[in-house]
Amino acid sequence: MPMLLDWQRHWLARRASPGALRDYLQQPLVAARTDYRAVDYVAVDLETTGLDSRRDLILSVGYVTLRGMSIDLSTARHRVVRIDRSIPESSAIIHQITDDQTARGSELSAVLSEFLAELAGKVLIAHHASIEQRFLSTACRQLWNCGLPLRIVDTQALALRTFERRQIPFKVSDLRLHSLGHRYNLPRYAAHNALSDALAAAELFLAQAAHRADGRGLRLAEFLC
Amino acid sequence: MDIELIEIQEFLTRHPPFDQLPAATLNRLPKQLTIRYFRRGLPFPPTDIDSPQLYILRKGAIELRNAQNELIGKLAEGDLYEQLCRHAVAEESGSTAEDTLVYMLSCTDLAQLCRDHSAFASYFEQSPSHRLRQALDVMVAAPASNIGLMTVPVRAMIQRVPITTTPNLSIRKAAQIMSEHRVSSLLIMDGEQLVGMVTDRDLRSRCIAVGLPTEQPVSEIMTRTLHTVDMDTLGFQALITMTRLNVHHLPVLDGERVAGLLSSTDLTRFQSANSVYLVGDIHRASSVATLAQISSKIEELQVHLISSGATANAIGQAVSAITDALTLRLLELGEQTLGAPPVPYAWLVGGSQARREQSSHSDQDNALLLADHVQPEDDVYFAALAKFVNDGLNVCGFVHCPGEVMASNSKWRQPLRVWHKYFMHWIMRPEPLALMLSSVFFDLRSLYDPANLYAGLQEKLLEQARSNQLFLAYLTANALKTRPPLGFFRNIVLIQGGDHDHTFDIKHRGTVPIIDLARVSALAASIPETNTLERLKAAADCGALSRDGAANLCDALEFIGTLRMRHQAQQLRTGQKADNFVSPDALSPLERGHLKEAFVLIHAMQEALGQRYQAGKFG
Repeated sequence: MPMLLDWQRHWLARRASPGALRDYLQQPLVAARTDYRAVDYVAVDLETTGLDSRRDLILSVGYVTLRGMSIDLSTARHRVVRIDRSIPESSAIIHQITDDQTARGSELSAVLSEFLAELAGKVLIAHHASIEQRFLSTACRQLWNCGLPLRIVDTQALALRTFERRQIPFKVSDLRLHSLGHRYNLPRYAAHNALSDALAAAELFLAQAAHRADGRGLRLAEFLC
Repeated sequence: MDIELIEIQEFLTRHPPFDQLPAATLNRLPKQLTIRYFRRGLPFPPTDIDSPQLYILRKGAIELRNAQNELIGKLAEGDLYEQLCRHAVAEESGSTAEDTLVYMLSCTDLAQLCRDHSAFASYFEQSPSHRLRQALDVMVAAPASNIGLMTVPVRAMIQRVPITTTPNLSIRKAAQIMSEHRVSSLLIMDGEQLVGMVTDRDLRSRCIAVGLPTEQPVSEIMTRTLHTVDMDTLGFQALITMTRLNVHHLPVLDGERVAGLLSSTDLTRFQSANSVYLVGDIHRASSVATLAQISSKIEELQVHLISSGATANAIGQAVSAITDALTLRLLELGEQTLGAPPVPYAWLVGGSQARREQSSHSDQDNALLLADHVQPEDDVYFAALAKFVNDGLNVCGFVHCPGEVMASNSKWRQPLRVWHKYFMHWIMRPEPLALMLSSVFFDLRSLYDPANLYAGLQEKLLEQARSNQLFLAYLTANALKTRPPLGFFRNIVLIQGGDHDHTFDIKHRGTVPIIDLARVSALAASIPETNTLERLKAAADCGALSRDGAANLCDALEFIGTLRMRHQAQQLRTGQKADNFVSPDALSPLERGHLKEAFVLIHAMQEALGQRYQAGKFG
């Protein structure tokens, strides 16, 4: 299956329009048998106008890179995307991005180009990753006529597996990023923006991996979706 | 532009020394950090990191041990571990006591920050004791003007050189001098010697009212027995003296020399809390019920003082002064009811009252010292007097001592010769009971002692204690039993479960160890003082303690004591009963950091004293 994914990447690389996505696709995906400690990761979070990737828009992207199981804050980025419609009030309340800010934002293609350049050759970390995956893939298709093959670590899926494996009873709210952070003695971020959530997901992954691996080397495959 | 790391920046801003950096530098700083996560029980610092780093603890806890595997420190949220930036190899080994998240800054970046910002750099050059002193300065930096009396010595209140004259000047001339200088009192000097004072009131009542010719010398109407105060007396204490004596002027001495005259108007310029006048009310009170009513304001006074920035020592002095006044008034009322005492006696106070470190909810420790010629039948009188005072204090909120160390207990109501025997026994044969009582009876002060009975006893006991190494060793070993909760934060040395879950006892584990150290040092050097700060200063003066060590303990006591008072003020404000159980969460990260440094200092002094008096042999 992972082999298949890399073959798909190869195939897409020939099909994609020139640009950031094609450059991304030139880099092989990380092999799933690699020791997870030797892998580079990019933790990402998107703020969007809603949950439907076909109709809703990406408002902002926050991400930060992990190398050698350290979060490198010099790579932390927060980019607001310029969109041409006003933000529904309901979502503005959550992520607190205003129309004014999006008017000052960058083009989605520029934001994603920068992001893909950072992501190339790395594994993506997100909490409840299907949203990030769908929105990123849809955007790539619109911009460069081609989907986005990814290696993904979903911190929420990891948490769910842990609960189930240890037969710990849990509520849905226990799977939230902040509840899990508390469980692992992580700092609580009051602000709710794409970068602080990406950072929280990165820290959560450090904690989950430390607890799971307990000092041993594990294959990346253990953490992939 | 990436303001989104603002929470990391804010975290840094809250913790020294990052609070010393300019905003622009702080903006950029988060981007220079990396983040790591360690499970509990792992070695620290980690060995798999290529270049040396400064570690900033974001969450979790780390224990540090020396080569002998003794716990020497604990790091909690906001603490720094900079050892690897000082030496290539860590001197201590540590381990994570909890799951821990750290921020790391490379030593290269740290060195650059230190080069660019001297205030930031000085943090890494300072010793913990220096940092503690600064923290204390900040905590009591700006006492509000309405507590000026609490903290300002008389020295700063006297306005000008006193107006003086000689005893043989005529009353009329003296009055002219007073008019000329617009003063209401005149000091009478015989050469350099202060011999008396004349006030407006004396002119009125001793001259005009009785028709004394104004050609008479002023010495005819002057007051000869003068109460004086020292330059360093706090305004508050001077006020108490004035109220007690019902006078409005006090000559101020600088050693033997007359330095000035303090009038009650000088004091009112330093407008004080109304409750400070409690003492005046106490002296006018004619019943226990009135005293109890007055005492109900002590809590209020304590809250007021702490919110105005007073230190623990200032508050201890104030509350003890009030208890002293209450006790004296109760003795007067008792004597009024029971008649004059059959033989002279001394009322001794012990414990926190003796040390002048009381707070509003202290219990009472006292004893009666009777002249040796007391007869068995006289005990009826003294038992009644003791009961009257003990019960009176109890009604006033200074509850009966749980250990029954009170004058109403016949064991502690004895003639001088028995007290001699008691002390010699305690010193020669130190046993657990004596050590337990040491905090009461080796901190003894005679509050009311017209026949000066106590002085001889005290002199003897100080002389004996000093020369008895065994006693000092036992006393030290006893003092070392209470250690500061060095790892007090979180689930390590906090009280677990019960009514005081997740707290530590700031009195028992914080101030008591210092009080105990001061007592040992005082007894080892025959220092008669009872107040802990005074003991420590005297111990430094005579070399019983190092100057730095004593100064550090003074600062630590004031810092911890003031935190304790704040904790209690907070409880009293919200209608709770004041206690000593402080949750570390209620302290700011800064206070927590300084508190820990204070604990480290106490611990170091305990070790030093333990060595010196060979406590290890008797522990």
